[in-house]
Amino acid sequence: MKALTFIAITLLSGLVAGTVLGLVNQGVVEPYLSAAIDLENQAATAEGEIINPSEFATYRIWQRSGSIAAGAVLGMSLGALFGIVFAYGRNALPGSTNLQKALALAGIMWLALYLVPALKYPANPPAVGDPETIYLRQGLYIAIIAISGFAALALGIAYKKMPVKSRRFLAPAIYTATVAAAFFALPANPDAVNAPADLVGAFRIASGATMTMFWLVLGTVLGALWDRTKPHEAARIKAL
Amino acid sequence: MSFTDQITRAAAGVPKIAVGVLLGILVLGVFVMGFDQGQLFSVAQGEQAYEDMWMHEFYHDMRHAAGFACH
Repeated sequence: MKALTFIAITLLSGLVAGTVLGLVNQGVVEPYLSAAIDLENQAATAEGEIINPSEFATYRIWQRSGSIAAGAVLGMSLGALFGIVFAYGRNALPGSTNLQKALALAGIMWLALYLVPALKYPANPPAVGDPETIYLRQGLYIAIIAISGFAALALGIAYKKMPVKSRRFLAPAIYTATVAAAFFALPANPDAVNAPADLVGAFRIASGATMTMFWLVLGTVLGALWDRTKPHEAARIKAL
Repeated sequence: MSFTDQITRAAAGVPKIAVGVLLGILVLGVFVMGFDQGQLFSVAQGEQAYEDMWMHEFYHDMRHAAGFACH
């Protein structure tokens, strides 16, 4: 395998998917963040804190630009993981092209690393969240991602050794049981959700929609680039 | 014969160096973007970094949007 091509297309697909996520979020998720931040500021002002509107507006522009940079960083990070798993798992994934295989893997990783953790610990807008509990909440979020992710990985590796007839049901059943046990064992988010329920609900749907789009774009771009550059075939081409 | 061996081996493996580089990017990137509360800049800034939390503030919107714990 050509190492440089592999690294390059992996990071490029992550960069593209993450930057698209950051840009789309400007229109789709930011309105809810702004609404929640307005609520936060109203509460702070009511408690006697003085907020300079023009200074705060400049600060928010800086912070919103950070959202695009964050998308690029997050995209390359998750893209790196996606590329590694794809390189090892490519032959085992369903589909006749690398694009189909990458989309299948993107679906699995979206489920294991995004959807399942989000069902246990849903995203919250600003105005929800106690700074005192940040390390606990971060730890819980990592815990559910790790349990779900490693369960999916272990089942993916063990899949070929399972009985052919039953593995299509056995693997999802073991995964579901593992995740259900983790949902039961891990404590709930300790913070009260005291923002308006319709704002929180709409924010979560918007956040889920763009994160789903991210995994879709990531799978599509890496799969298409893999089909085009074929990094796994590089050695053979060179030898011939 | 050795020619064929070389082809098979080179085509089958995932380069360890590439996996190492990508794992490094994964860990550093996710930490900086999703989890840092001042730790990174405290190396240069000291205790003040935990007050400023530049990484937290700069990546704030995406932390919320992507489902990371924030605030």
